[in-house]
Amino acid sequence: MPLLEGHTARAFDGDLSALHVHAVEMGGLVLDQVQLAISAYADWLRPQAHQVLERERQVNAYDRTIEAESLQVIARRQPMASDLRAVFAIDKVVTQLERAGDEAKKLAVTVLADSETRGFRPGHAMARDARQLGRLVTQSMRASLDAFDRLDEAAAAQVLRQDHEIDQEYAATLRRIMTRALEDPRLMHGVIEAAFMMRSLERIGDHARNVARQVLFILGH
Amino acid sequence: MERVQTEPVAIPKPAARTSQVLLVTDRDKTVGTITVPDPVFKCRDVNVHYGDKHAIKNVSIEIARNQVLAMIGPSGCGKSTFLRCLNRMNDTIPSAVVTGSITLDDQDIHDKRQDVVQLRARVGMVFQKPNPFPKSIYENVAYGPRIHGLAGDRVELDEIVHTSLQRAGLWEEVKDRLNQPGTSLSGGQQQRLCIARTIAVNPEVILMDEPCSALDPIATARIEDLMEELRQSYAICIVTHSMQQAARVSQRTAYFHLGDLIEVGETDRIFTNPRHKLTEDYITGRFG
Ligand SMILES: Nc1ncnc2c1ncn2[C@@H]1O[C@H](COP(=O)(O)OP(=O)(O)OP(=O)(O)O)[C@@H](O)[C@H]1O
Ligand SMILES: [Mg+2]
Repeated sequence: MPLLEGHTARAFDGDLSALHVHAVEMGGLVLDQVQLAISAYADWLRPQAHQVLERERQVNAYDRTIEAESLQVIARRQPMASDLRAVFAIDKVVTQLERAGDEAKKLAVTVLADSETRGFRPGHAMARDARQLGRLVTQSMRASLDAFDRLDEAAAAQVLRQDHEIDQEYAATLRRIMTRALEDPRLMHGVIEAAFMMRSLERIGDHARNVARQVLFILGH
Repeated sequence: MERVQTEPVAIPKPAARTSQVLLVTDRDKTVGTITVPDPVFKCRDVNVHYGDKHAIKNVSIEIARNQVLAMIGPSGCGKSTFLRCLNRMNDTIPSAVVTGSITLDDQDIHDKRQDVVQLRARVGMVFQKPNPFPKSIYENVAYGPRIHGLAGDRVELDEIVHTSLQRAGLWEEVKDRLNQPGTSLSGGQQQRLCIARTIAVNPEVILMDEPCSALDPIATARIEDLMEELRQSYAICIVTHSMQQAARVSQRTAYFHLGDLIEVGETDRIFTNPRHKLTEDYITGRFG
């Protein structure tokens, strides 16, 4: 099970601690999915894309388990104050992770698509763009999961401060892609697909940012 | 009234949160806002000693009209002691010495001209264990209005008994058995009878010390619903050990710890985002 490196934190007691640890584990898995999906797309690697789809089931299983565990914690403990905020926030984090996992899946599905209008291997420049944007969103996701693991206020705030870098990179990437389409209209299908892939990456960045927001919520902000 | 100079108390500082402004009162002790607009009760620097035991330490708080104030805190922190200050029930405990200023509608309740019986009618109390008098249901409710001369004749008295039982949500259950002893009712009904007895003398404030701790969840829910209705007409102070109950019934919550009022604030905030670490630890159940 891919865990975030150095995961040792025990921020909560008992059931709530288990809930937190499971959400952090799910985060590790989703981060791995995202990285794998980016390299599957940029380097057009079908086996890796298959692996992403395989593991998507595990992500969904985490989602269901954690949801059931949250209900149990609420029913048994009737948590208050920071514990109450945590149960609430962990649930939201899990939703964000699940959605980030869905975006990763879209990349993988594209690599495995085989039709007239879908499944275009990105050219050299587009692959470089995908790697570059991918690197930023993976960094952001790693940092926000780390902040979530340690409930680190400063780290979460840092993720939010850097969010605009992803937005800028995304906008610049789209401009470059569109310019290519204008130069050669035969590339249109591939360009539209690439634009969708970039949007998936940008959304993963949004989900990472939302995880960081939940960390601040748990800490009472 | 003499103010007792007390030793500064060592209270752990509120949890450090850099970007959050702490509202600390002038006494730099209680976290939160102790004042309310148009308070019914104003308490300043209230101290209670039982002999050497310093049970309430410089507590300042105001109690709002038409609101429920919940007082919470670990056993022995002084909740009941503080509640008893508000209608001078501590006068009945020989070792108890109460100092500080407590005003009801801007009048000092310790004033020599203050009639204590009158005060206890204005500030009624409901106890943990329902304690009906060993008399009929009717007499339990009629007793107070009668001794306070609130009814001119039997018709008026009947009317007061009727409305009080109705407001206490008990009328339908007892209207055909008003002459049966109060003790023949179930625990939950007895507690509502005690509430009817309290409101029969037209109080301004109702004090409740763990009023539901001897009741089942259904009887508890009825009392809680009743509190919501009663606060339209009265100020209510309730001591409870149930965080859920405090969260459900009150608009403001006060957290006591070893005689200190640690934190007071809007209930919605206290149970989702308390500012003081002691409050946080208590309501999350990390100690109790
Ligand atoms: N009559 C008394 N004589 C001496 N000490 C007393 C008396 N009544 C209360 N105390 C002491 O004063 C402190 C506060 O007691 P109080 O009954 O107000 O606490 P409480 O918060 O209501 O506790 P609980 O939740 O158990 O009802 C305790 O240490 C208690 O032992
Ligand atoms: Mg008590």
